[in-house]
Amino acid sequence: MSWLPWSSSTEKSSKATDGGRIAPDRSSRQRCWEGRDAFFGCLDKHSIIDSIKEDKEARRQCGQEIAEFESSCARAWVKYFKEKRVMEYNRDKTIERIKKEDSEKVAELKAQGWTPK
Amino acid sequence: MASSTRFVSRIAGQTARFPPLAVPRCAVSRPLSVRPRSVVSSSQSNLRCRPSNAPPFSSPRCFSTTGSLSRSKTMGQLRARHSNGPFSWKAALLFVLTGAGMIVYFRFEKARLERKRIAEMSKGVGRPKVGGPFVLKDLDGKEFTAEDLKGKYSFVYFGFTHCPDICPDELDKMAAIIDKVKEETKDENIFLPVFITCDPVRDTPEVLREYLREFHPGIIGLTGTYEQVKHVCKMYRVYFSTPQNVKPDEDYLVDHSIYFYLMDPEGDFVECIGRQDTPESATKVIMEHINDWKRDGKPLDTK
Repeated sequence: MSWLPWSSSTEKSSKATDGGRIAPDRSSRQRCWEGRDAFFGCLDKHSIIDSIKEDKEARRQCGQEIAEFESSCARAWVKYFKEKRVMEYNRDKTIERIKKEDSEKVAELKAQGWTPK
Repeated sequence: MASSTRFVSRIAGQTARFPPLAVPRCAVSRPLSVRPRSVVSSSQSNLRCRPSNAPPFSSPRCFSTTGSLSRSKTMGQLRARHSNGPFSWKAALLFVLTGAGMIVYFRFEKARLERKRIAEMSKGVGRPKVGGPFVLKDLDGKEFTAEDLKGKYSFVYFGFTHCPDICPDELDKMAAIIDKVKEETKDENIFLPVFITCDPVRDTPEVLREYLREFHPGIIGLTGTYEQVKHVCKMYRVYFSTPQNVKPDEDYLVDHSIYFYLMDPEGDFVECIGRQDTPESATKVIMEHINDWKRDGKPLDTK
């Protein structure tokens, strides 16, 4: 995968002639997202949420997927997506919990004779 | 619109309930007109004499000045009037249509005034100010300032090319909005989409040009020095977290706000378009502001 613009072996070619750093284009982004989805699909199968804390387990269970993911995305992106997965999991959990508490509260109030407007 | 049709049907329901209430009031208010009087006489004669069935000589005491023909006509009208009340279907229709028209008009005006309030919120003194003077450079290396945004509605987005997932999505949305607005303004060239990078170290003009080309050729890319970019982010209240002393080949991400800023031709902030907006809803908001501006007869640069 050395032809990817951000992989270390081709560091020079990722430089723009005016000193900037060429960004991933649409197809490289797509490739990265596909690698990510495959890796996360594998994590789902093995019930791993945080692949940073459980790095060893993730690599043992999804060795091929993580290799593919890390080679097709920039390092910062890999870290970002791993963290985002945890964040989204916690967010969804929280929303679920609030909804549950909400419906329990409503049921409790209804039992006391309160009717929603 | 669904709510206004509900409104109309509610009014129609009211008109249906009006007639029984309105009948006595109408009879009282028109005691001198001819028909109500013949109403009284004919209804009395109807009760006492039954003239249409009985032979004329068998009811000598029944005296009426109105002939039986004209009386039956009045009766027909009376019956119709009594069952419908003073409102004929034409009057009811007129009433409903007028009511519906007023509702539509008031809603339209209310929405317009609300937009005007939003648009003028950033114009007064002591208001939170978004936007303002800045100096950056465009992709040809030419200086680009806040003055260059004036005369048209501008649509400003902050981002960086090494953005993992949100910015590309938002830029695809921006491209769709540009095309939709272009279509709705019939190529008037009064809409200026701008992308300002938060990451000037890596996002040089060459990088930006390549990046934006993939989304829409009409997007104006702007970059500058670290200080210039920091300043413009501050002016637009954009959260700016770009590390200062990084080298272009370092791998890092930049946190930034992900709003589109709609700015009017005087360079004042109008409204935010956020993640929750679709290209359709965003275009609707933008076109409403553009059309308000035109309706007020304010100048627009179409060059």
